[in-house]
Amino acid sequence: MMPWLAQADPRLNMWALPPYSPQLWIAVIATVLVGILLVFGLTFLPTNLRRPIVTVMTFLAGSFYVGLWLWPQPVAKVETDLPRDMVESVGFWFQDAQQALANVANILTAFLLLLGMYSLLRIHLGRISKKHPDRAFSVVLIISMFLIVIFGYADWRMRTFLDPQNLLELKTNWTIWNHGRDILFDGLLMQMDAAMFSLIAFFILSAAFRAFRIRSVEATVMMVSALILIISLMPLVIYQSEMLIKAWFPNPSPGSFNPENYKIGTIAGWVKSNLQTPSLRAVEFGVGLGALAMGLRLWLGLEKGGVSV
Amino acid sequence: MRRKQNFWDEIQFIDRRWLYLVLGVFLVLGLNLKCAVSNVCAEEGKDFYATVMKVPEGGTVLIQSDWTTSTRGESQGHLESLLRILMTKRVKFLIYTFADPQAPQVWRNVIRVINEERESQNLPVYRPWVDYIDVGYFANAEGSSIAVRNDIRRFFSRQVKDDKGINRSIFESPVMTKINKVGDADLFVIVTASATLDVAVQRLSDRVNMAAMVTGVIGPTALTFYQSGQLKGVAIGLKGVYDTEYMMANGLNTPGPDGKIVVEYDRSEAPVPKITEGKTLARGASYIVALHFALGLVIFAVVVGNIAMFASRAANKGGKRR
Repeated sequence: MMPWLAQADPRLNMWALPPYSPQLWIAVIATVLVGILLVFGLTFLPTNLRRPIVTVMTFLAGSFYVGLWLWPQPVAKVETDLPRDMVESVGFWFQDAQQALANVANILTAFLLLLGMYSLLRIHLGRISKKHPDRAFSVVLIISMFLIVIFGYADWRMRTFLDPQNLLELKTNWTIWNHGRDILFDGLLMQMDAAMFSLIAFFILSAAFRAFRIRSVEATVMMVSALILIISLMPLVIYQSEMLIKAWFPNPSPGSFNPENYKIGTIAGWVKSNLQTPSLRAVEFGVGLGALAMGLRLWLGLEKGGVSV
Repeated sequence: MRRKQNFWDEIQFIDRRWLYLVLGVFLVLGLNLKCAVSNVCAEEGKDFYATVMKVPEGGTVLIQSDWTTSTRGESQGHLESLLRILMTKRVKFLIYTFADPQAPQVWRNVIRVINEERESQNLPVYRPWVDYIDVGYFANAEGSSIAVRNDIRRFFSRQVKDDKGINRSIFESPVMTKINKVGDADLFVIVTASATLDVAVQRLSDRVNMAAMVTGVIGPTALTFYQSGQLKGVAIGLKGVYDTEYMMANGLNTPGPDGKIVVEYDRSEAPVPKITEGKTLARGASYIVALHFALGLVIFAVVVGNIAMFASRAANKGGKRR
């Protein structure tokens, strides 16, 4: 069955239709229609059948990526390449289908943005209609959102369809729509975003003053290593300390005390290489094992919480 | 009844708004002080610079730019210095993001600003299609990275405007003509403030030379990949921006005007040249004094906080004895 699915002749490979070709458009329209019918049909299913369907779909999707990972893959395949045997046929099929699946996953993820917009509108229009005391903020949010959409779309349309020579790359050629987008996105959104993030600096300073106290041996070790790493981020201090060491020990004798080992940069590098990175690697191993266990549970339908319908 | 507070108690419980004010004043001062700061560059940063400088003139670099405005203090400096190096070496690049829909607009601004800067210096500007390709945002990092690994031509099989305004496949552009698989790119650089670094390294590091420019928060994770050899070099945080700019201005193993080597590089005896056109010391250099002030203030706060704690304890014990 797999060689048939692989459609060895590239002209017939449904996964490898050339972009913008009529065949691809027909395939896209047909897929959308079938998808709509399928979703419509699913609404008639009894509730107790929904969970098995979700579980089976999850298993099939997971199986594809497991197969993709395990099966030998062609390297730098071009459109005219033909598989020589069953192993290559399946490898070709996996690779071609994976591209289509990646696009499907991208489109599905993009739908989440639309869902986010819908959710925001539903909540904030509700607040306005119910005359919530904080409705002024909701009004600001909705107006801002629509202004950015309108100016952003106008800017994109001009750049994509009305500017063949890419003249809008230079600010001197901008129109009111480009300036509007620039003021809203670069002038307001970017600045506010950065300002919000910069607040962390103030909280860190306050926390350093109030909470970073030597109350135990562990806290002392942590503070000493933190101070070394903080100092290692100050180029002028490292540079001056290195100059000082060079001045104090101009000609260190080999085999005895080596001042190079006591430079702040060297100590900080040792802390990073021998303490920080191995600890983080251990954490990553733990996270990886946890993700693997969770992935297996989801894939095999053992995780009940993940398939609530 | 509430105990009477002594001086050290008051220091310990000082209103936090005073701390905020001091930090604000120090940062404003730091950002307005323009002075040259000597530097000792990090080893991973030197490897990063050497790796980027190895890309041949006219080569192609893939840039995954996964940052937005919240981390622009670090990431914008990263991208700017990377683009300045590539533009000086006339290296072409493909740029995209797997992380955030805002990211494309952010890098478009950076490219525009650097182009305007170069135009004012009578240097050639970078033109879309001819010198770089911008393919925008892809929502699913995991699936998209696997797709790039398997077949980059299929994944990016899209049309963009050429220099005459006609829509053509990006693989017909001078940027991508020699790219048949991801390993054909001379280098893959990820500029990120998020965990997309893990995905990119896990999926692509065995297929293409990779280097990274990451924020301080992602730095420790990036160092695990650097130590394992999956990343050829890393620029971390604001210090990484300044390191890169410092090496752009001084090179590696390259003698300065006085004949002394400013930045020594142990991994190679051959000099790695400095950048000879356009700006070198830029964003990193203008933020580095403020970074010193902020970090110095954090150290001062930790020390004073602890002294106040011990002094307050001692004073209270003495009071009880009386």
